Amino acid sequence: MAKPSPDSKTPYLLILPYFVLYFAFGLFPILFSLFISFTSWNGFSTMTFVGVANYVRLFFHDAAFYKALYNTALVMVCALPLSIVLGLLLAAMLKDYFDRSRNVFQLINFLPYITTPVAIGILFQILFDWKAGAVNSILLAVGIVKAPIYWLGHPWPARAVVVLLLVWQGFGYMMVIFLAGLSTIPAELYEAAKIDGAKWRDTFFRITVPMLRPVMTFVLTTGIIVGFRLFDEPQLLFSGEGEPIGGPDHAVETVVMTFYQAAFRDFSFGYGAAIAYGLFIVIFFFSFVAMRIVNRGNDYGT
Amino acid sequence: MAPRRYRAIPVYAAVVLVSLAAFFPFYAMLMMSTYVSEQLFTGVKLLPGAFLLQNLKTILAIHYLHFYANSLVVAATHTVAAVFISALTGFAFAKYPFRHKKLLFYFILGSLMVPPQLGLVGFVVEMKFLGIVNSLFPLILPGIANAFGVFWMTQYIAAAVPTEILESAKMDGCTALRLFLQIVLPIIRPALVTIFLLFFLWSWNNYLTPLVIISREALYTVPLAISMIGSEYRTDYAARILALAVSTIPVLILFAAGSKQLIRGLTAGSIKG
Repeated sequence: MAKPSPDSKTPYLLILPYFVLYFAFGLFPILFSLFISFTSWNGFSTMTFVGVANYVRLFFHDAAFYKALYNTALVMVCALPLSIVLGLLLAAMLKDYFDRSRNVFQLINFLPYITTPVAIGILFQILFDWKAGAVNSILLAVGIVKAPIYWLGHPWPARAVVVLLLVWQGFGYMMVIFLAGLSTIPAELYEAAKIDGAKWRDTFFRITVPMLRPVMTFVLTTGIIVGFRLFDEPQLLFSGEGEPIGGPDHAVETVVMTFYQAAFRDFSFGYGAAIAYGLFIVIFFFSFVAMRIVNRGNDYGT
Repeated sequence: MAPRRYRAIPVYAAVVLVSLAAFFPFYAMLMMSTYVSEQLFTGVKLLPGAFLLQNLKTILAIHYLHFYANSLVVAATHTVAAVFISALTGFAFAKYPFRHKKLLFYFILGSLMVPPQLGLVGFVVEMKFLGIVNSLFPLILPGIANAFGVFWMTQYIAAAVPTEILESAKMDGCTALRLFLQIVLPIIRPALVTIFLLFFLWSWNNYLTPLVIISREALYTVPLAISMIGSEYRTDYAARILALAVSTIPVLILFAAGSKQLIRGLTAGSIKG
């Protein structure tokens, strides 16, 4: 632009609304939460300053927090690679083998991602109901199982249902991101490989996967960040009467569920805020490690 | 490159199978919403039943339309404001030099790492203090300043809007706001569509914020309502399933209309950077 003098007010006026709104409804609550995390407070009575007591309790005396972290990490470690691989394969296949019908398949596989997570939780609760659920009916009819499986009543089957739910919900999103990434790979690479007589499988592993490494980093780190926020689906999956929070033996209770329970059910605002900050520290650590791992692979790879 | 014909059959089969699996829960949901609850316990329903209208009456009787209107108001106002602010801020970062620009931009990027629940406790207290907990504002306001949106718009505007056009318009005495409204916005329409779809989706599906803030039933949004119908009308499974199915309609329409744009927009914007 015709170099307006750097002290011109215009750009500052343009970015002002963003920063005002961010400070008012983004940063202020975050800092305020940090302050609250050093207190004991139920939101109504007087606030008592307790120093780092909430954090000491969280990191050294709260087995439930670690169990929730374990649960969240476990379903993520299973679901994230599965949905990435499925999304990548589907994207590569759609790009190379489908032309006119590509849009239809894109939309169908993207549907789960746009469905309200609350609805997904309830829907899976109904589909996996041990008496009336469609899944057991089909398994029984085909003869894969002899007796109905009590999916949501035992810890490991319940976890499996959550993983399945997350893969179903997430692979279409991965597919769309990978399709976007695929379209930036120069076609000449594939043409050259084809002249050399490479098969689809070869080009997939030798060209597609290496070239998509930046996209992979992107989906992996955002996947971890989003994965640790898991709340709606498992919360609703076990929302029926008489069902324990977080499923059988708290097997699928996630960190955000623990946070919600502490802050907004038990009204321990101070402790709840500390859980949120504890989770933030963990997320930061994990996404840092993930980024390091993916980037290190890159150094050796090329 | 594709080795078509017979060799490709396994590939077609795999894609069709995965797509069927992806679609099955939807299909089951649609079918189940056309029966009465008692019938749902008698096996899988693969064909439509005859009770769609009856179930529709049931969900209308619990003011489902009212919750629907709440959700539409929240998602629409939030999204329009967020897209506008993102584009405006991105315009400044992409096309104007100013002091501390880098620093401010890194500040915005850094805030991307922060999970939204981090400030939730403080936010609830803030809303109570401001006296707006009994309105839809707590659902509209957060996230209007969206770091992802700004980052993305900055990249897009820097690449897509030619600086020469802006310069010549400025020579003619065009103000910054008019530049933005009349020149920049029309050029970046694909990016606006993409980001509108994503913001609308996230707002429409948001559950945790209304769950912890909204207590009056008159202010329920759709996700909150369907989670509550769950406990109050637990016996009427079929009506509940219909409510789930209906909750997806707005985003379904938006994405069906804009799915091509979405992929084109994602390609142009986020990935290259």
